[in-house]
Amino acid sequence: MSHPKEHSGNNPLQQWSPLFSLVVPGLGQILQGQRSRGLGLLATVLALGGLILWQGVPLLFVPLAAVWLWGVWDAARALRNRPSGTVAPFLLAAFIAYALGVRATEMDFRRLLTGWPAIRPIVRALVRPELLEYPKESHIGYLPFQVPCIDPLPPPQGRASEQPRLSTDVPCAALGETITLDGEGFLPGLDVEIWWQNPIGDYQRVLKDGVPLVVPADSEGRFRVTIQVPPTSVPLDRRPGPGETQTHRIEARQYRPYGSLQPTETLRLVLQKIGETIALAFIATVLATVFALPVSFLAARNLMGGHPVGLAVYYGVRTILNIVRSIETLMWAIIFAVWVGLGPFDGTLALLLHSIAALGKLYSEAIEGIDPGPIEAVRATGANWAQTVVYAVIPQFMPSFLAFTLYRWDINLRMSTVIGLVSNAGLGFLIIQWIRLSRYNSMATAIIAIVLVVALLDYASAALRERIIAGTAGGPKRGALRRYGVPAVAVALFLALFAWSWRVAEIDLPALVEGAPAGLRITRAFLFPDLLTRPTEEVRIAAPLVVPCGAAPEPGASAPAEGPRVALSLSCGAPGDPLVITGEGLPPNADVSVRWRLPDGGFLRVKENCCRTDGAGNLRLETRVHPLMEVKEGAVGEVEISWKRVVGGYRPSEALIITVNLSLVTLLMALMATTLGSVFAIPLSFLGASNVMGRGPVGRAVYFTARTVFNLWRSVEPMILAVICASWVGLGPFAGVLALALNNIPNLAKLFSEAIEEIDPGPVEAVTATGANPLQVLVYAVLPQLVPRFLAYILYQWDINIRMSTVIGFVGGGGIGQQFRVWVGLDQYAAAGTATWAIVAMVWGMDYVSAKARERLI
Amino acid sequence: MLEVRNLTKIFPNGTVALRDVSFTVAEGEFLAVIGLSGSGKSTLLRCINRLIEPTSGQVIWNGIDITAASPRELRRIRRQIGMIFQQFNLVRRSSVLTNVLSGRLGYANPWMSLFHYFPPEDHQRALTALERVGIADKVHSRADQLSGGQQQRVGIARALMQEPKLILADEPVASLDPVLAHSILQYLEQLNREEGITVICSLHFLDLVHRYATRVIGLKDGRLVFEGHPKELTRERFKEVYGEEAEMVTVGGISL
Ligand SMILES: Nc1ncnc2c1ncn2[C@@H]1O[C@H](COP(=O)(O)OP(=O)(O)OP(=O)(O)O)[C@@H](O)[C@H]1O
Ligand SMILES: [Mg+2]
Repeated sequence: MSHPKEHSGNNPLQQWSPLFSLVVPGLGQILQGQRSRGLGLLATVLALGGLILWQGVPLLFVPLAAVWLWGVWDAARALRNRPSGTVAPFLLAAFIAYALGVRATEMDFRRLLTGWPAIRPIVRALVRPELLEYPKESHIGYLPFQVPCIDPLPPPQGRASEQPRLSTDVPCAALGETITLDGEGFLPGLDVEIWWQNPIGDYQRVLKDGVPLVVPADSEGRFRVTIQVPPTSVPLDRRPGPGETQTHRIEARQYRPYGSLQPTETLRLVLQKIGETIALAFIATVLATVFALPVSFLAARNLMGGHPVGLAVYYGVRTILNIVRSIETLMWAIIFAVWVGLGPFDGTLALLLHSIAALGKLYSEAIEGIDPGPIEAVRATGANWAQTVVYAVIPQFMPSFLAFTLYRWDINLRMSTVIGLVSNAGLGFLIIQWIRLSRYNSMATAIIAIVLVVALLDYASAALRERIIAGTAGGPKRGALRRYGVPAVAVALFLALFAWSWRVAEIDLPALVEGAPAGLRITRAFLFPDLLTRPTEEVRIAAPLVVPCGAAPEPGASAPAEGPRVALSLSCGAPGDPLVITGEGLPPNADVSVRWRLPDGGFLRVKENCCRTDGAGNLRLETRVHPLMEVKEGAVGEVEISWKRVVGGYRPSEALIITVNLSLVTLLMALMATTLGSVFAIPLSFLGASNVMGRGPVGRAVYFTARTVFNLWRSVEPMILAVICASWVGLGPFAGVLALALNNIPNLAKLFSEAIEEIDPGPVEAVTATGANPLQVLVYAVLPQLVPRFLAYILYQWDINIRMSTVIGFVGGGGIGQQFRVWVGLDQYAAAGTATWAIVAMVWGMDYVSAKARERLI
Repeated sequence: MLEVRNLTKIFPNGTVALRDVSFTVAEGEFLAVIGLSGSGKSTLLRCINRLIEPTSGQVIWNGIDITAASPRELRRIRRQIGMIFQQFNLVRRSSVLTNVLSGRLGYANPWMSLFHYFPPEDHQRALTALERVGIADKVHSRADQLSGGQQQRVGIARALMQEPKLILADEPVASLDPVLAHSILQYLEQLNREEGITVICSLHFLDLVHRYATRVIGLKDGRLVFEGHPKELTRERFKEVYGEEAEMVTVGGISL
């Protein structure tokens, strides 16, 4: 908080500063010399006002007006040299922001309850992963079924099974309708699972009340059950046209265990995918190190700074690295999927690119931190360049290089567990696949595998890091075997691991070249994002053509003498007659479309990839009369030329409007998640603080339990939480907020615990000694130590949340990510580019804001 | 008058920090406590206002048994006993003013004080106290922006806010250079002489003891091994307190 300047009132303007604050919030404060306070007030009122208008909640203007009036009051008080606290306006502003946040992110806590049945099986499955099972003998009955009903109903495609046998009360039904299914000849007393296969061949479990349906067969091997035709079984774009039907297939399956326990297929798949996950992370980290080193030289100021060209390269490389870094790995995976197709290679490229950018920046900072002193000293001994590098540069660079590489390996491993959520690679892919199949137990196995892999490797790399920091002391001289043998084995292991990873990651360099056209297209679209459009209207001109001659009276030529005109070489003719279409007075060098307007009202292009007018606005096209142009019921066809004419000036494109809208939603998602996370983390953090829990056995037990839970819980990636939350509360921003908050709770709780442990007991003692009561001690000695650190951690988490919330939509968490994936899926790359740039801008902006805020806190 | 009777402190880990210590301090005395590191000086001072709970023994101050006081009574007693620390123990991120005002917490309205509200008299008092220790211009600085000597003066101002009848000072100058040490102790001496505040102060430097104390007690391994006038603290007696190996080394005019 700044304090008013001493001599207020000298300047006549200042006398009126409250009035100025009434006109423009903060102006009075600025005039009194409290610039940051004034600008802060102004920015708050403008930003919140804008948000209120955007969300359309005029009622919130009331608290906003209160903030405004507080500014007037504050300016008046400052005139009399009485600074006022900022708690009240801060609370008001927070109230407005949260009210808007709740609305924009569609938070509705009732959905936690209503969605509970959908997620219960998932939660239950988490304690019952599929590890071992008895091999099973399967007993399957199937029956074709037509959706929807049409009249007459054609015979179904495919057969029904004879033994066991299924039958339905009706041969056909619409999506979502209820039918009765009968079965006979099944194994008596054993449960039957009902499955549905859609016409594309995808299987899904038939659900009842959100739970996979299971019915027992009776003692004669019969069952009867009513089921609902799965409403979502056919994707929208594969639904039959009017008057068509599709054959689905109903399956009833029984499994009878026999023999001895064996690893499940799930477990085998999971183990295999763990390998793939590790391979992806490994190869991406190794390759990234190789590429990032040269890049980092270009991005190090002390190497590039001497020369204007060098400096330009430095800034260029830095900017590119920053842009690449602010686009999340998962987003790169979606972009690269367009280039090389889904799969491990796509995931590897995404990990690799993001790692190069991140490592390039970190390495360059390490290079910038090299102390020139030792270099000078070594050089002064007469050492040559190589000797200087070996004795003065590498020893300085090596520790940070190792630390950063290891740190990146950690991140890559975490990332590669979830990259499969968007590309078909690693454990994440299994999760997405299995949740679609409602195979919750399998999914739970994969989730547990991810948590274990992440937690274990976290632990391993923490241990390794300690050893690196401790350094390998010279120690006694080792024997030749250990001196050369150990490194040789290490190198051999490394090479073997590398070769294996290369194969598992399906590195496919030709695919990079083959996909280059698609890659270039998406790159170009990203460089020229869809920002502005000009409204257009379509202009059409047409000339009639009677086919065949005499089939109808030829309409008189009605073409205007001026302006654009279409002329035909024939006014009537037979199908197949040569025809020359000429256009005059059209816009020069413009794309126009030339179409047959058929007598039945339809349109047909005259020629593919056509046409462009010449510099004078003329067009000439030779073709033959189309057979469909024949006169029908007296209607005459026409030849039409149409083009788009711009009316009015530039305005924001639809993609831009959607992007801005969703960017705001994304920011608010991060805000809500950070807040929710903090609110729950604060009380929990006391359980994980050893100085609060004390040295008693109960205290120690609680402390260790809390810390372990925090660490395991932290290993559940937010993207995986998002998958689960999306089935809990439905797709949308609320799921994203929930997932981020659930991930933030253990993260923040751990950080907060550490902050609590680092409280300086001195001031606590001192304030206690003055005779203060415990509450006063808390307020005067504990909170002042905790609050700034908590805030710093919250800001840090908010920073991470902004990044995460841009991608959480890929798995149904709402916000800009969801739209980005839709746009890429629809090949609307320019719109996707707009979203990408918005994300870059958002990440940069928030980085800057939180860096500033953190500076003020420390 | 402060009377310490048979004070013993055994920490939960078994360390015996004080063994059966008894002595009395008359009103208006400047009592120095000397002893090796680990001899129990800090423990003794903290047992007096019960920042550390004594294992056995009594501390009686003006007829009130501090060791038997209820939490409420204890707070009323503590607010009359100012305490000054070697590490200053300021809340580093709070302003000097807030730190000084926190010395008033024992008197303030418990609820209002939670919102950092103090009556105007207290603000006035804080300014006076800061003026007294010569750093009135730093009221609005953050505590961690001050030098060590200035921080200790804030610590004294905080104690002054309590209008104390007794000041406990635990090595108040051990973190300061010799010149600052004198200036801090001069403030304590002034308070002792002019306001009659009793001072109990643990010190490491013999010349400071000679210069400021009116009486000295010496601790060794938690036992009281010396009690008397500073003049009686000869080289030999000093060795008794500090052990045979100790010599009265003189460094730059300051004897150790
Ligand atoms: N909280 C504690 N738990 C266990 N032992 C303690 C604790 N505090 C102090 N001690 C022990 O009690 C003994 C006396 O400590 P005290 O801090 O009173 O010594 P001191 O004379 O103030 O030393 P210094 O001059 O180093 O400040 C020491 O042996 C110390 O290790
Ligand atoms: Mg001590």
